[in-house]
Amino acid sequence: MSDALPCVLFVDDEERILRSLRMLFRGRAEILATTSGREAVELVRSHRVHVVVSDQRMPGMTGVDVLREVAACSPPTMRILLTGYADLDAMTASVNEGEIYRFVEKPWDAQRLIATVEQAARIAMDEFDAQASRGAEPMAAKPAVTAERAAAHVLVLDEDGAIAAQVRELLPPAVAVTRAGDLESALEALATQNVAVMIAQLSSADGDVADALKQLKRLRPAMLAIVLSSLRDSRLLLGLINEGQVFRFLLQPPPRELLRRALIAALERHEALRTQTRLLRRHDVEAPARAPAATISARVLGAWRRLREATVARIA
Amino acid sequence: MTVAPHPALSANLATPTQAPAQRDDAPIELSTLRLPTPPVPPDTCVIDVAQLFLDANYAGLLSLPIVAADGAPVGMISRYELMRVFLQPYGRELFGRRPISVLMNHAPLVLSVETSIGDAARAIAQHIRSPITDDFVLVENGRYVGTALVLDVLRAVEGRLADRSTELERAYVRLKSSQAQLVQSEKMASLGQMVAGLVHEINTPLGYVRNNVEMTRGVLADASQLIVAQQAALDALLGGDVVADAQARLDEVETLRLRVDPAALDDTAALLDDTLHGVGQIGDLVINLKDFSRLDQAGAQKADLNHLVASALKIANHILRKRGIEVVHQPGELPPVECAPAQINQVLLNLLTNAAQAIEHERGRIVVATRAVEGRAMVLIQDNGKGIAAENQARIFDPFFTTKPVGEGTGMGLAISRQIIEQHGGAIRMTSSVGQGTRFVVVLPLRAVVREAA
Ligand SMILES: Nc1ncnc2c1ncn2[C@@H]1O[C@H](COP(=O)(O)OP(=O)(O)O)[C@@H](O)[C@H]1O
Ligand SMILES: [Mg+2]
Repeated sequence: MSDALPCVLFVDDEERILRSLRMLFRGRAEILATTSGREAVELVRSHRVHVVVSDQRMPGMTGVDVLREVAACSPPTMRILLTGYADLDAMTASVNEGEIYRFVEKPWDAQRLIATVEQAARIAMDEFDAQASRGAEPMAAKPAVTAERAAAHVLVLDEDGAIAAQVRELLPPAVAVTRAGDLESALEALATQNVAVMIAQLSSADGDVADALKQLKRLRPAMLAIVLSSLRDSRLLLGLINEGQVFRFLLQPPPRELLRRALIAALERHEALRTQTRLLRRHDVEAPARAPAATISARVLGAWRRLREATVARIA
Repeated sequence: MTVAPHPALSANLATPTQAPAQRDDAPIELSTLRLPTPPVPPDTCVIDVAQLFLDANYAGLLSLPIVAADGAPVGMISRYELMRVFLQPYGRELFGRRPISVLMNHAPLVLSVETSIGDAARAIAQHIRSPITDDFVLVENGRYVGTALVLDVLRAVEGRLADRSTELERAYVRLKSSQAQLVQSEKMASLGQMVAGLVHEINTPLGYVRNNVEMTRGVLADASQLIVAQQAALDALLGGDVVADAQARLDEVETLRLRVDPAALDDTAALLDDTLHGVGQIGDLVINLKDFSRLDQAGAQKADLNHLVASALKIANHILRKRGIEVVHQPGELPPVECAPAQINQVLLNLLTNAAQAIEHERGRIVVATRAVEGRAMVLIQDNGKGIAAENQARIFDPFFTTKPVGEGTGMGLAISRQIIEQHGGAIRMTSSVGQGTRFVVVLPLRAVVREAA
């Protein structure tokens, strides 16, 4: 079973793209391809598809529409967007609704695309196998409200405290909410507390916070990040997806209900990740394209070191 | 009205005497920067003032002078303020018919034409707000004689400042861009939408072209290695080499042959066909874009209107395709039309974009036809979209009238289109019925007098 080829479905309204991809993956995967989003969803329903790679701009259904439906009807299937251009709104939706694994731009790099798809396929194959062996129990089963979950810890990184206050008010009292006014104190809090969800306000695209979120995902893969920002910067979001697996990206100020739902979803996902560590691989990240800013102050560096030590100690 | 002096400007402009070279220049007076802007009476209604901003007389101005009948300047109204009001919900309904005096800035900067540039700069520094939204009024003995641009004053001062601080430069750049931004806002809005589509349109063929070339290179490398090995084996056999040696070479050929997938070789031809097609498509797009971007080429020339229509359809292709709209293109016989092609392109693109945006169902269809009628050329663009409500039909050509959400509609598309067509001596007409669709007809004389926009 494990040495069988994975099944990869390509969706693009340009047939030449499909032909080209078919050839690139010949011998590496069992390939399905369609120019229609609707048909793609049907194929996922009727076949065991490990990876869906979809374009965004297509007549009828958009890529995000397709991936959203795939996520709902076949949760183990990994989802990748491959597109020539996506505006920020489409990208935001691909994170929040499609929970995509990677966002890849056309023209793509053949070797990297192969590596990305193969990695996604391995993760999905394991997931399908695990699902088969434990019976019909669906992957995203809502975990029961356990004592640990009730004691979950949420960290809010915002300068003025307004978000933290809103988060506090949205969550039940049993969930602890801590506010950090800057990156250094956030890292300190992370070193001492078992944080399930971190909410971070991003006010600049190349600041330390974006870099820190990417590093943190490698150090604490089960911790989920909700980013709030008023920056309509698609480069920034691209990095946060591929290198940081950001869980939700909300434009500021976020509507109350949206923020509440994001928080609940993150707490639930954290619980699933905590109890089924295999799922962590679905959130694995690419190495950052850029080294973290060399300007990080000595104090922040110190906090990083303490956090790393604390993490190692916990694992040991 | 609060007046917050711009810190950067007041810091640098208040002390121009530090510049040692200043003495070399004869003192320049504001009169050299005077623009003979026609004044606007205070009882003009807000909609008419918005219309004036499109007039060639006022192109490039940030704000218009409001002058009483006795020649006394009583205020200024800025593009910025008008946009702000029109972008508010019901802003147009609330203010459209009221006199401009209710919106204008009652305390504009007013300077005598005899003021020196240095003094003017100082006054501007005291008076200016950020973002810079206003120009200023010139008077002679208290009576209105024209306007002048803050930008021109800065330019004049800038020339005389030996100590050109970076701060000043930055303010200048900021101002220049805010001025350009306001004047060009409609062009920008449609450009922004277009760029997104075009980038996608180019990256798609680029995606498979690059991939195909890479794959073909791999296949060819393997194949050429195989040819070399086969040649060597052949040479060994014919040259009467020891049998063992020839066998080794044959084995090598066999391994290489397994690596060269014959199916892949067969597919190479198809890959190369696709690649050529993709390169052709990118080339087409680039040519169309070049045609399109000659927006400043305002002069009249004989153009093939059918070619312009085809080019606009190509540029709008992504918008149409994204919505799954069927385009029925019916070009008729047309003599060459004397026009400013880039401007006509802009009109066609506006009409096509509007038509596409009006279609909210999945059986979208747009008919684009051209015809020659009695020495005139006619373009018809008809959609089966949602139509225009009777109460809106009279207003769609008004500047800033839009039924689309902020960010999607600027309300300037049809206003600018009508202005362009009328400058060509032509006419633009609309008929529409709700739920059925809308038809726009543009009629152009074959010999147009293109009035250049200032
Ligand atoms: N083909 C059409 N079908 C329906 N409504 C239209 C059409 N063209 C224009 N309109 C109406 O006219 C308004 C003004 O159009 P326009 O000046 O191009 O500005 P904008 O497109 O930015 O709203 C639109 O908001 C829309 O309500
Ligand atoms: Mg329009």
